[in-house]
Amino acid sequence: MMININDLTVTFKNKVTAVDHVNLSIGSGIYGLLGENGAGKTTLMRVLVTVLKPTSGSITMNGVLYGEQNYRRLQKKIGYLPQELNLYPNLTVRECLEYMGELSGIEKRECRKRIDFYLEKTSLAEHQHKKNRQLSGGMKRRVGLVQALLNEPKFLIVDEPTTGLDPEERIRIRNLLVDFSRDRTVLFSTHVVEDLAATCNQIAIMKKGAMIYSGAVRDLVSEVRGHVWICTVKNEAQARELETKYHVSAKQYVDGGLQMKLLSEEKPEVECALAEATLEDAYIYCGQFQSL
Amino acid sequence: MKQDIKICLPLYKLVYSVMFLIILSLVRGISTVFEIGGALDSNIALLAIVFCAETYVMEKSGGRGEIFRLFPVKNRVKAVRRRLLIQNLYLYLLSYIGFFFFFWQRPQNMIGISFWYEYGTYMLAVTGTILFWSTLSMTISNLFGNQWGGIAVSLIIWMVVNSMYGQDVLGKFNIFAYGFRNVMEVHDVSWLFGKLAGALSAMLMIGLIPYIMKKRG
Repeated sequence: MMININDLTVTFKNKVTAVDHVNLSIGSGIYGLLGENGAGKTTLMRVLVTVLKPTSGSITMNGVLYGEQNYRRLQKKIGYLPQELNLYPNLTVRECLEYMGELSGIEKRECRKRIDFYLEKTSLAEHQHKKNRQLSGGMKRRVGLVQALLNEPKFLIVDEPTTGLDPEERIRIRNLLVDFSRDRTVLFSTHVVEDLAATCNQIAIMKKGAMIYSGAVRDLVSEVRGHVWICTVKNEAQARELETKYHVSAKQYVDGGLQMKLLSEEKPEVECALAEATLEDAYIYCGQFQSL
Repeated sequence: MKQDIKICLPLYKLVYSVMFLIILSLVRGISTVFEIGGALDSNIALLAIVFCAETYVMEKSGGRGEIFRLFPVKNRVKAVRRRLLIQNLYLYLLSYIGFFFFFWQRPQNMIGISFWYEYGTYMLAVTGTILFWSTLSMTISNLFGNQWGGIAVSLIIWMVVNSMYGQDVLGKFNIFAYGFRNVMEVHDVSWLFGKLAGALSAMLMIGLIPYIMKKRG
């Protein structure tokens, strides 16, 4: 599965450009899409899902051009878990999935088999007769994931699936996405860097509608190597002074003062040592200092 | 079908629809059985407008709009038509039973006029009313993309049609001509033209559902 996005722009009626001349190629496996709130991730995903039409540019999926005449053909290959999804509160998990399977056009017997399979995989089998409104947030997300997988999509798009979940549930969702990425392309958007660090080898970063990085995670991290520093300051006044001069990505009280992690293109003018760069550092560095 | 029933007939809707008829029967005074039909016909339209406005747009307001749009249009259309049918059948049943809510007022029967004839004509009239107004409200909601637009516009149309001006202009083709009829003229069934016009309009609107869905998402 190969998705190619060429010079894609989405400008709304209020003149806001949510996606600004984006170019991207997404191959098989799990692909991360990172960006702050309002970066354009959801808008890009809505275009990929065919819910929104772009203002200009083109997208192809395995050579098939995105256009109204091909939407039905493309939609059969797409599974989508939107950021906000409220499943029918009065239906049980099973009823809801069977209903959505029927609406998708999946034959009943086949649909039931798939539902059984995915409920097992997502540890929801014992909850299948509970009403959706009785489920926890994490369980609802898992049900949402199952509905996205029912038509066995080749391209699964999940928009911030871990937002608001506790750590255990976040890890569960992430692991499920990795499992489900085996024979398909998964586009996983989030503003939680940790989630992408744990799951993706390829990543794209959006900022204010533009793509500021796309490529391998390890290449992104290696770009910021040599620009991450650890220093310890004795008091708050010194800390505040450093904050005005450099980007501080972490700080912590330790014996002897305040330990700070700084991002700087040049070595800071304080006693400091090079620190191990993380994906989070790379993301901040990328957004603050340059487009890579 | 089971899921559609649960989706479009949640408990709160059942409660408020029954309460609507109970309250109507308490506040709307009648002295004869033959006034009940007229009292109910125009008011049940209000219930139908509110009840059915969100038949399709609930997917958008309920946070499922984007997923719903990925389903084939023909399956979405089938689901919406099923929901409209379920809601209509419920409202028909409620209005047929609701006729008897007024009997606490001990209405008089009129000599020479058969109760069952009157009840039969009422059932026919209210069926046409519910069919038209439920479909109109849903269609306008679909065009606006939200139920409040559908309810507001339908209410304006209801006010115009349910007025002397509306009756003067539309005459026997008024959907509410049944309520404006002279009850003493038992065999005057010219109001049927209004109900037929309403039913035909409803069929047309039901036929337009796929086009509206393709256009509006």
